Amino acid sequence: MLVTWKYRLRDTFIQRLDPRTRLIFLFSIIFALTIPEIWDLRIILPIFAISLTLYFMARIEWKDVKRGWAFILVFVIFIVGINGVLSGRGGPSSVTNIESPILFYVPVLDWFGWMVPITVSKLWFALNQIIRMLTMAILAIPIPYTMDPNIYGTAFKRMGASDNVSFTMDLAFRFLPTFARDFTITVDAQRARGYEMESLKGGLVERIRRLSPLIIPVVMQSTVTGEEVIDAMDLRAFGTSKRTWIKTLTYAPRDYFMLGLGAAIFISCCVLKWGFGIGGFFVPDFFTNLFV
Amino acid sequence: MSDFPLVVENLSFKYRTRPELAVENVSFELRQGELLLIAGSSGCGKTTLARCINGLIPRSYRGERKGKVLLQGRDVAEMEIAEMSQVVGTLLQDPERQIVASNVFNEIAFGPENLGLPREEIASRVEQVMKRLNIEYLHERETFNLSGGEKQKVALAGMLAMSPSILLLDEPLASLDPASAHEALAVFRSLADEGKTVILVEHRVEDAISITPDRLLYMEDGRIKYLGPIKNLPNEIDYTQVKLPAPWVVQRVKALDNAPVVSPRPEERERSEPLVVFEDVDFRYDEEYPFILQNVNLKIYPGDLIAVLGPNGAGKSTLVKHAIGLLKPTKGRVLVEGRDTRTMSVAQIARVLGYVFQSPTHMLYAPTVHEELEFGPKNLGFEPELISKSIVESLATVNMKEFEEYPPLALSFGQQKRTTIAAVLAMRSKILVMDEPTAGQDFANYTRFMEALCGTYDGGSSLLSANFDATLFITHDIDLAVTYANRVLLFGDKHVVADGAPEDVLKDVDFLTKYRVRPTSLLQLNLDLLPKTGRFLPAESLAGFA
Amino acid sequence: MNDKSTWEFGTRQVVYGAIGAALYGVFSWATNIFPLPAAGNVTFRPAVAVLIFFASAYGPWVGLLAGFIGNTLGDALSGWGFYWHWSLGNGLMGLVAGLVMASIKDFRARGDIMKAVGYGVAGIAVGMLFASLTEMFMGGIDLNTALFGYFTPAFLGNTVVTVILLPVLMIAFAAVASRRGR
Ligand SMILES: Nc1ncnc2c1ncn2[C@@H]1O[C@H](COP(=O)(O)OP(=O)(O)OP(=O)(O)O)[C@@H](O)[C@H]1O
Ligand SMILES: Nc1ncnc2c1ncn2[C@@H]1O[C@H](COP(=O)(O)OP(=O)(O)OP(=O)(O)O)[C@@H](O)[C@H]1O
Ligand SMILES: [Mg+2]
Ligand SMILES: [Mg+2]
Repeated sequence: MLVTWKYRLRDTFIQRLDPRTRLIFLFSIIFALTIPEIWDLRIILPIFAISLTLYFMARIEWKDVKRGWAFILVFVIFIVGINGVLSGRGGPSSVTNIESPILFYVPVLDWFGWMVPITVSKLWFALNQIIRMLTMAILAIPIPYTMDPNIYGTAFKRMGASDNVSFTMDLAFRFLPTFARDFTITVDAQRARGYEMESLKGGLVERIRRLSPLIIPVVMQSTVTGEEVIDAMDLRAFGTSKRTWIKTLTYAPRDYFMLGLGAAIFISCCVLKWGFGIGGFFVPDFFTNLFV
Repeated sequence: MSDFPLVVENLSFKYRTRPELAVENVSFELRQGELLLIAGSSGCGKTTLARCINGLIPRSYRGERKGKVLLQGRDVAEMEIAEMSQVVGTLLQDPERQIVASNVFNEIAFGPENLGLPREEIASRVEQVMKRLNIEYLHERETFNLSGGEKQKVALAGMLAMSPSILLLDEPLASLDPASAHEALAVFRSLADEGKTVILVEHRVEDAISITPDRLLYMEDGRIKYLGPIKNLPNEIDYTQVKLPAPWVVQRVKALDNAPVVSPRPEERERSEPLVVFEDVDFRYDEEYPFILQNVNLKIYPGDLIAVLGPNGAGKSTLVKHAIGLLKPTKGRVLVEGRDTRTMSVAQIARVLGYVFQSPTHMLYAPTVHEELEFGPKNLGFEPELISKSIVESLATVNMKEFEEYPPLALSFGQQKRTTIAAVLAMRSKILVMDEPTAGQDFANYTRFMEALCGTYDGGSSLLSANFDATLFITHDIDLAVTYANRVLLFGDKHVVADGAPEDVLKDVDFLTKYRVRPTSLLQLNLDLLPKTGRFLPAESLAGFA
Repeated sequence: MNDKSTWEFGTRQVVYGAIGAALYGVFSWATNIFPLPAAGNVTFRPAVAVLIFFASAYGPWVGLLAGFIGNTLGDALSGWGFYWHWSLGNGLMGLVAGLVMASIKDFRARGDIMKAVGYGVAGIAVGMLFASLTEMFMGGIDLNTALFGYFTPAFLGNTVVTVILLPVLMIAFAAVASRRGR
């Protein structure tokens, strides 16, 4: 169980982008959909198409991401399902359209007679929701595979974070594989003392408590490591003056293009929603007609 | 400005949390280009002295400091950190914990970046330093994947990039195999020759004197016991405290007229059924990775006390992890008491084979030593009476009875190490496997430790032979193999390249060098005297024959 | 440097923030491999106890950084993408829990441990509430789903883990600290 970033140098448009561009673009899309609360699939779908294109342009191997995908799909569907059942009492996404035809009932607590109606409008909303969530999620999935872990600190610094915060970022990346390895060794060492993960006995509390032989050695070792790292950094004058960050970042035309695109999407969404009232939730007739 | 780059005057220091002085009344000065070796047993105050010199005391560590440390005529306590870091460069013990960047270039540039130097200046400094240390080929590598020796060089480069005039090296050899350690030492020597003042803190004195330090400062309990040229050393320093070259020890033992003790040869046992068998074992971690083990055949018999030697990264740990079933062979079989490890769980194998990992910090977790020792036997489902009996016995064996209710995490390193052995003892396994049992301990401690384990006493049985049918330890210290083992395995080229009695395996010096095992003065002397002794002996015992 | 000034932000906070983040990331990811039983949709993330521990030992900034960066790293390692609001929620969790630092004198003392657990639970409440409520805008769920689908299970799971593991970590830390004080 070795933690290595799956980052690899690939000759792609995505990887030639400035890391700042990628982070800013990601946030432009997230905010474009969430701040003006866009729920209109006519707007969401084109953005989804852009996200999907960028995802494929990153050219990451399926075997690397299939576990992540499985999780995301299960999670999104699960939460959308819960929402469908629980929703209906207000909130920003109220979809209790009483006139909407009822398709079937979900018996939540059958004995108590709590039957939740699933309406056409709820179904359409759920579909929107899934696509909307995916539009944001798939933009971020490729980042660990396609962004050099050594550049995050510099990128944050250039986006205005302080020396200390930016360096924390770098240092976290530095120690991640070290602690992952310490953890692996600890698991092995305890197994050699007869510890068996599989046969965790007892109730919930006991099971959680039984994790301490795996967690404590690693955490305690890390606190000792910390003292040494502080000394090492003090001795090399960390924090004494304004730091030079040796790596430079420069925006190329492609970055301006992407930043422009991000800004355009954000502004259009705001203008459409607030200026013209377009972009809210509605159920198109053709969808209702499918069922009625 | 004074002529001496470093002057220490009547320096004393007491940590705020401790009652006693850690450094007491230390005075010395160093010339430019001088190489000073500082030695002394664990806890004698070497690191504390180093912290006084590089200014961490009084800045980061609180306590009472008296006296003065003058760097180029100015007191460290009054200098700015940024200024001071360009005068003294410090290399800490474990490069793994000292490297702060994920890639080599950034690591070397870290100091100059903090000084806020212009980019071109930083880049040119990094380039120069890499050239100086011949590590240009590491330029774009990840620091995590470097070998121990490479890490050490990168850490050194990061320090040199600040262009300090005084280098302070605190036990820089601790994590290196002998061949890499000597490469590092050669670099330190050449830096001194270029005019840097070098302070080398190291208890591997035997290794360190191969680069002829100008003087040695020997400390005991925070005070200077000896300060002077190396050649008087044998008379000034206790050879049981610090590892000295074997001929010196012999000379000293003779001069003192101590009767050399020759312990009786451990009795050979009949070769019965093997306990562990490796049959044509091949192994790789993943299909994408190369084979680490290829065609390994090996049998461990009752009565074996095996030392496994071999270079860093050869696959020694990988090999022994197969014996306990943590790893399963890609091809071939490993049998423990006749059963294939593939059909057994690690916990089942643990009843037969106890494995002590290298660092105690990887396994100690419990609030008391007692609970720590309970862990294994409980996992194995021992009856309560047997558990308490095992604990009492194993604590007595490692001489830790009075610590039963103590938190293991508060113990010293040596005590922690003994706790881990006791934890394995309490599981009552038949075979004891130890990964680098002496790493990170000073000479006096580790001889005491190994003597306790392997030494034969009145009854003629050692702790190991009384408790275990067989023992195997991995080590980089060839002297341990010479002194304590009755069988030596040399591991290299993915399999066992030599296997036999120490006298047979270790006699071919060229062969050893090929596998990066460096012959030591003790081995050399033993080889010279072998016709008279008939077997390998510790240095003191050789006095009777030389 | 033992001056426990809560809001100091120097080398020490940088180092422990980073170390806490790396550990939180590793443990979050590792507990995906050793899944604990889930009761209902409550999933247990033992790593949270480690985050709260770092916060109470090293203060609010460390808690914030370790929570934010650590959660991001954990998600990235697992291949789930980046959910800024959950990362920020985790950061807030650490920040609030870290407010206890200055008032802890002895990591072994019962009273101090209870205090740390108390702040920890408060942190969990604040952090998870923030994340759940922002999920309304991010995912378009309604208040009920936010409270019952997200907040309740996350709050319960994290609290259980913290109540069980935080005291154990603190007691172990007292032993380590006794060996090496600054
Ligand atoms: N940070 C600290 N706080 C309190 N006491 C300390 C601290 N560091 C060291 N000491 C104590 O000061 C004494 C000298 O320790 P020091 O680390 O200087 O020894 P050393 O010679 O470097 O030992 P080693 O060979 O094990 O590194 C020891 O008793 C040690 O326990
Ligand atoms: N979990 C792992 N995954 C992939 N490769 C590994 C893993 N563990 C070790 N290796 C590789 O296997 C090789 C052998 O490692 P091993 O730890 O067995 O060597 P060793 O002889 O014990 O070295 P050392 O003297 O440094 O302890 C090394 O090249 C190492 O990088
Ligand atoms: Mg020391
Ligand atoms: Mg090894």
